[in-house]
Amino acid sequence: MLKYAIRRVLYMFPILLGITLVTFLLFNVAGGDPAVQMAGKYATEAEIEAIRKDLGTSGPLYVQFGNYIKQIVTFDFGRSWATKQEVTRMIFGEELRTSPMLVSISLTFPAFFITLVLAISIGLLLTFYRGGALDKSIMVVCLGAISISSLVYILFLQYYLGYKLGLFPISGISYDWVEKWNYLALPIIIFVALSLGSNVLFFRTIFLDEVFQDYVRTARAKGLSNKVVMFKHVLRNALIPIITLVVIQIPFLITGTLLIESFFSLPGLGGLIYNAINNADFPVIKAMTFISAVLYMFFQLLSDLLYAVVDPKVQLK
Amino acid sequence: MGCIKQIITSLTIGLLSISMFTACTSDKKKFENSITIAYGADVKALDPVFAEDYYASQVTSQIFETLFEYHYLKRPLKVQPLLAESMPEVSEDALTYTIKLKKGIYFQDNEAFKEGKGRELTAEDFIYSWKRLLDPANKSQGTWVFDGKVKGVSDWREKMRKGLADYDTPIEGFQATDKYTIQIKLEKPYHQLIYVLAMTYTAPTAKEVVDKYGEEIINHPVGTGPFILKDWIKSNKIVLVKNPNFRDMTYPTEKDEEDPESMLKDAGKKIPFVDKLVFNIITEDQTRWLNFMKGNLDILSIPKDNFDSSIANDQIVTDLADKGLELYVNTEPDLTYIAMNMKDPILGKNKKLRQAIALAYNTEAALKKFYNDRGIIAQSLIPPTIDGYDPSFKNEYKQYDIEKAKKLMVEAGYPNGKGLPEFEFSTSNSSTAVQMGEFFKDQMSQIGINIKIVPNSWPQFTQKIHDAKTQIWGIGWVSDYPDAENFLQLLYGENVSPGPNGSNFVNAEYDKLYKQALLLPSGEKRTKFYHKMRDIASEEMPIVPLVHRQGYYLTHGWIENFKRHITISDNFKYIRVNMEKKKKLKPEL
Repeated sequence: MLKYAIRRVLYMFPILLGITLVTFLLFNVAGGDPAVQMAGKYATEAEIEAIRKDLGTSGPLYVQFGNYIKQIVTFDFGRSWATKQEVTRMIFGEELRTSPMLVSISLTFPAFFITLVLAISIGLLLTFYRGGALDKSIMVVCLGAISISSLVYILFLQYYLGYKLGLFPISGISYDWVEKWNYLALPIIIFVALSLGSNVLFFRTIFLDEVFQDYVRTARAKGLSNKVVMFKHVLRNALIPIITLVVIQIPFLITGTLLIESFFSLPGLGGLIYNAINNADFPVIKAMTFISAVLYMFFQLLSDLLYAVVDPKVQLK
Repeated sequence: MGCIKQIITSLTIGLLSISMFTACTSDKKKFENSITIAYGADVKALDPVFAEDYYASQVTSQIFETLFEYHYLKRPLKVQPLLAESMPEVSEDALTYTIKLKKGIYFQDNEAFKEGKGRELTAEDFIYSWKRLLDPANKSQGTWVFDGKVKGVSDWREKMRKGLADYDTPIEGFQATDKYTIQIKLEKPYHQLIYVLAMTYTAPTAKEVVDKYGEEIINHPVGTGPFILKDWIKSNKIVLVKNPNFRDMTYPTEKDEEDPESMLKDAGKKIPFVDKLVFNIITEDQTRWLNFMKGNLDILSIPKDNFDSSIANDQIVTDLADKGLELYVNTEPDLTYIAMNMKDPILGKNKKLRQAIALAYNTEAALKKFYNDRGIIAQSLIPPTIDGYDPSFKNEYKQYDIEKAKKLMVEAGYPNGKGLPEFEFSTSNSSTAVQMGEFFKDQMSQIGINIKIVPNSWPQFTQKIHDAKTQIWGIGWVSDYPDAENFLQLLYGENVSPGPNGSNFVNAEYDKLYKQALLLPSGEKRTKFYHKMRDIASEEMPIVPLVHRQGYYLTHGWIENFKRHITISDNFKYIRVNMEKKKKLKPEL
């Protein structure tokens, strides 16, 4: 397995190079000239050209790409073109407490975990009572929940739970380790509400696939109780798709969720990426693309490795 | 089943109990003598050199001060000394300005100074700070305030670019003749100098502070102003607290005719009145609105979607008035307009076509549709509250008239649009901007002009204008200072792309008048020149003036002395929080 892991890590380098090249070319084709942005409304051509020179965007593309690679290797992306702040500090914060990445994770990780526990439990329950009234009615609710736009959840729950009932703060964040959960509670509830429907349907399908397998019939024939069959055998065999879903989601959880962050004024990575794209802030875009790509590849590798752990049939070569 | 129920119950209880616990702890914060407002976008650097947008400039100007400022209450705006002891002494040829500084002004305490105590402000601090502003390495967008206007500035900048000069190299036009006197020498008369010396760009920073923090100076603002930076969490909030060593400065004793008597209640009292200013970053309208209605924000510009439910017949609705809310309306010195690229072989060469476009655009309908009727229809480039604005002026081609427009289309050689290619209307890709494009397209279809809407990201949009690659587009301009020149320069021939004259309008007569007006001080003679230029622009119609927007602000009943003008950014020092009212009104929200 170790050999496999090392080989996969080595594969990452050409893939990373490809991703950085595509980002770089896309930005140069469609990004707009950052020097024009930076020079302001009274700029002269000479000033704009001087800024281009300073940013290094007037040189040949291969030199610019070389600089990008250097930044990746040294993990120094310089300063943002839009905010003039240091890029790594914009992402990781001036201290851990106020790190945008931590804000995003504090929202998405607990929310995702709660969604997972609830969705797996409800999925198992529906599999257990498949075809019955409970199964059908929850299915209808889930389909309904998926069909409603995420904005509706946010606007409605923020208005009623936050403003009208005053159960939670309307928006904002505290950097106190305890008080912050007060601010995150409502966004977490909304995140769960938003993702629960589709996850329940996903897990129900997975479990149903397993329930009709031969080993389940055999287990039942041997006289095992439904509970044991469901929790011990079905759940375990359904782990591969669960792991795929969970592990692949993690990088997206780290990079935040734009809508919820923006409505609840949570200074996480979602808003950071959005602003960077809107402002043609290439240093931030470069850093975030690189970080996202590395995270994505790392967790994909992790999920492959975990397959082998949970399923002896899987062999990594 | 039981297990699931248990999980759900404990989760709900957990979340609710955290919420209750912290709701109690935040109660203590409810009645601070502070003002909290929200910005719709992030604040960038807190450095006068980078006071490029409204938000950065407003926060920065609470910490830093300039030589001059605008009288808080008087309209039209009136310049008065702030760090200067008096108004500048101007030589007869209007080329030399001598400015005396107030004595005994101190920088805020900071580790950068000896023993952490802020030192006295001197004339040299201004010279140093203006060099910082003009240093090409800093890439400030504010260099235009001096570049090409003050003697030696352009030379110094050129030498700096080539590495042939440094901060010790003198600039001829900037001299500290003694510890408290600054002399500015100009290339040619520049009557707007007094206004730019009231802009945050020109506020002084101490060299010691820049030396200590280097590039990180943007996060360590140290000025002479009434507030000090206490906490800044990026993209979240900025907290300023009262500067304990702020000198004796008092609330104005004169008011504008239109102000109520209550605006002078605090006349002559020491400012600032509040202990703390909080600037929250809240990008969504609903979030800002709900926070305001809960009393978490003290002042709010009414979001578009909440306008109809809060204002009726230009009055605040009873429901809100009962909660103690007050309405404040002001016309902004700004202009939204549709620009046409004069380099375009068809648009640029056919005046009648441009006039027809202006006539076929129903600005009144657009004002209702996109601004909730918050604004006035612009007749020319020059907005109200600006020197040179004439409320009686009516632009012949700004009166919505389809029949007349159709007639002009015939005279232009394109009856009912026949023979005209499809024009591109470029816009940013925000939903409102695209809707405005759709509206323009509808309007033009009435006279047979076909429009294709081309949405762009903001950087792409500005670049297209800069490269003169747009045909028709919608954009706006907010005044930098209260002089019509700031708007008329949008059509000055030497300001064509990449300058602010994006429509690339070049007219010899207009340019001649512009140059002559620049040499004149404020007064009747200059206004006549301005009006002649306005008339040329109205006839040639390279840009179709649309709307001067109006700001509708709600304040809670505990906010007193509130008055606003977009050019006055250091207004928080004058605002008072009536704590008794706050304690009474806030719990009821």
